[in-house]
Amino acid sequence: MTKQKMFVRMITASLVRRRSRMLVALLSIAIGATILSGLVTIYYDVPRQMGAEFRNYGANMIFTAAEDALTSEDVAQGTAMIDSQDLVGCAPYRYENVRVHESPVVAAGTNMEGAKATSPYWHVEGEWVSQSGQIMVGANVAESFRLKIGTTVTVSYTPEIELKKGETVVDEQRDYEIVGILETGGSEEDYIYMSLEDLAGLTKKEGTLDVCELSVSGGTDVLNSYMEKINSTVPSVKARLVKRVTASETTVLTKLQALVLLVTIVVLALTMICVATTMTAVVTERRKEIGLRKAIGAPNSSIISEFMGESVLLGLLGGILGSVLGFLFAQRVSLHVFSSAISFRFWLVPVTILVSVAVTCLSSLLPIRSATEIDPALVLKGE
Amino acid sequence: MFLRMIRGTLFRQWKKMLMIAFTIALGASLATAMLSVMLDVGDKVNQELKTYGANITVVPKSASVLNNLYDVEGGSAGTYLDEAELGKIKTIFWAFNIVDFAPFVSTTATLDDGSEITAVGSWFNHHISLPTGEELDAGVASMRSWWEISEGAWLDEQSAGDQADLCMIGIGLSEKYGLHPGDTLHLSGASADRTLKISGVFDAGGEEDDILYAPLNTVQAFADLEGKIDSIEVSALTTPDNELAERAAKDPSSLTVAQYETWYCTAYASSICYQIQEVITDSVASPVRQVADSEGAILNKTQLLMILITILSLIGAALGICNLVTASVMERSSEIGLLKAIGAQNAAVSGLVQTEIFITAIFGGIAGFFAGWGFAQIIGHTVFGSAITMRPMVIPIVAVLVVIVTLIGSIPAIRMLLRLSPCEVLHGR
Repeated sequence: MTKQKMFVRMITASLVRRRSRMLVALLSIAIGATILSGLVTIYYDVPRQMGAEFRNYGANMIFTAAEDALTSEDVAQGTAMIDSQDLVGCAPYRYENVRVHESPVVAAGTNMEGAKATSPYWHVEGEWVSQSGQIMVGANVAESFRLKIGTTVTVSYTPEIELKKGETVVDEQRDYEIVGILETGGSEEDYIYMSLEDLAGLTKKEGTLDVCELSVSGGTDVLNSYMEKINSTVPSVKARLVKRVTASETTVLTKLQALVLLVTIVVLALTMICVATTMTAVVTERRKEIGLRKAIGAPNSSIISEFMGESVLLGLLGGILGSVLGFLFAQRVSLHVFSSAISFRFWLVPVTILVSVAVTCLSSLLPIRSATEIDPALVLKGE
Repeated sequence: MFLRMIRGTLFRQWKKMLMIAFTIALGASLATAMLSVMLDVGDKVNQELKTYGANITVVPKSASVLNNLYDVEGGSAGTYLDEAELGKIKTIFWAFNIVDFAPFVSTTATLDDGSEITAVGSWFNHHISLPTGEELDAGVASMRSWWEISEGAWLDEQSAGDQADLCMIGIGLSEKYGLHPGDTLHLSGASADRTLKISGVFDAGGEEDDILYAPLNTVQAFADLEGKIDSIEVSALTTPDNELAERAAKDPSSLTVAQYETWYCTAYASSICYQIQEVITDSVASPVRQVADSEGAILNKTQLLMILITILSLIGAALGICNLVTASVMERSSEIGLLKAIGAQNAAVSGLVQTEIFITAIFGGIAGFFAGWGFAQIIGHTVFGSAITMRPMVIPIVAVLVVIVTLIGSIPAIRMLLRLSPCEVLHGR
């Protein structure tokens, strides 16, 4: 029998025969590894997931006309610069002065799907505008004109044309069905909302936009680079950041990430010490065995290397088990909290295994050393 | 004899017992730290979210429609809130949750070259002493935290007095008229002329860039609006809305008495609005959904995340303690074998072992509790720059956890030891 074979046999035999105790050790290493891989995965995923939550605050970038007018082609060119994964929503707006019950009101034409994405905080009582001929009115407008959902209202528009002598302005008039009342707590409550096509139909003018709101996920750096790219490559669009949203998001997100990082460090440190104490206890228990080996002539180095072999094996098994469990845990947390899946980080597997092997080896090394230094006779006698 | 045996173990085997106590202390400190942080994270994150500005706006009842909708000039709309009532905001039921507020009065002022600009009067860092003895610095300096001061400095209202002839202008105005800090600006308003010195230029990245901000009383004086304000922005710590809050927001009278009590005594944005309307005459307070809703979503997610991380670390701590207790009990097989050989009953043996571990656990648990409290404070100070409030409920939770975990942790090991026959153990198999 070769030396290596004997070495392998001794390690596996000690693991198999001392099943229950080794299971205890393995379990504790696996817990440590689970916490390591689970928390680190969450730590790396929090900015992305939380960033998505912060998009609740609405648009963080706006496009305005750099020259005379903003058109939907300009907007399309601008949004093409933004990675489609980062673009949460894009809502073009066009504002016109119209009259309801002969009183002036601002009408906003927009793309409803875009508005839904860029302004998730809009609270619509009733329905969103889904087809032509429907409008949503702001809560203040609804209150002052006593407008109700389901009723029809006449909206009139005075075209801005130069009048020749003797001509009178003919107002455009359309009837719209009110499908929803918009509550936001902001100035949006003073407007009425319709689709861009309806507004174009009412005003008999197409194509121009006043502003385009964009909701882009990413930190300030990402947003700034997008802004510069768009401003330099699309001459007709002036992109600006909504400082209120971007600056505040950076502040809060940095704090949150620091919180998760610190919690991860504290939990990890304590768990690693727990693993270490368990390993120490398991090894200390075997002082008698070490004494016996020494008594029959084993050199210290071979005893240490055998115990190390066991530790490496335990660390390896625990690390693999922990990587899997940790990922499952992180996945559950992500699905539960953010309702979205987490990406598997392959580099975390070797790191987890390496750390658990290192912690196991280090924590068993100290008691083994102290055990080997003692006179075998004393150990065997039980003192 | 029982006591003596226990004392014997505790003193003679103090190294082993110290290790058990150490592990239990680690577990307990982990549990304490995580629980305290988890319970306090809502408040802390809520404070951080205040950087988004006000989540409640208060406007006069009828002006809300008139002013915005018809673009009526400041002076003629005729409805204002009373400046004298401002202090009442800090007297409502949830006064403690109101962290900041600022009044605003806006008017148009004419410059020397005839062009009109919007001038807004507000507090900058106004010092308020409340009848309750509370001191508070409120105003735009803290409620517009996203403003970037591109030139000069924030207007310091406290050192200059609230009648000061100072102002701050947006970067848009600064570029348009070539104005810089230190320059003076002559404004004529509805009733008087004032010459204001610019103390700073701000970049707000929005509509406010074309507005002049000056102390409240200064603007009131030249716009002939003494004692009048046209809106109040309030920054309050709120609880995320639920179904009850939504129903109540629509019509508080639709609730039953019990529901009304619950709603009124919970810091929902809608109940705080309702309470503000109660104290400010003829006002409408409404939540700013952009801020209020997002706050709710982020708070809920953060809390849920922390709860799950806490559960993971609690399980980790529990299993860690279990493990070590099991390992250390099994280690004592020969001692227990000896006890059994000289005639100890199973019950007596397990009672002895459990009492020893229990006493160790108490010491470990207490040490761990204080260590964990320390960890929580470290987290609080590094991340949020303020101490974590200790909730009394953490103590019983940690105590119960430590007791249950140590007892359960020792049961499988003890059962195994009791099954062993004394002669085998003593023989060393």
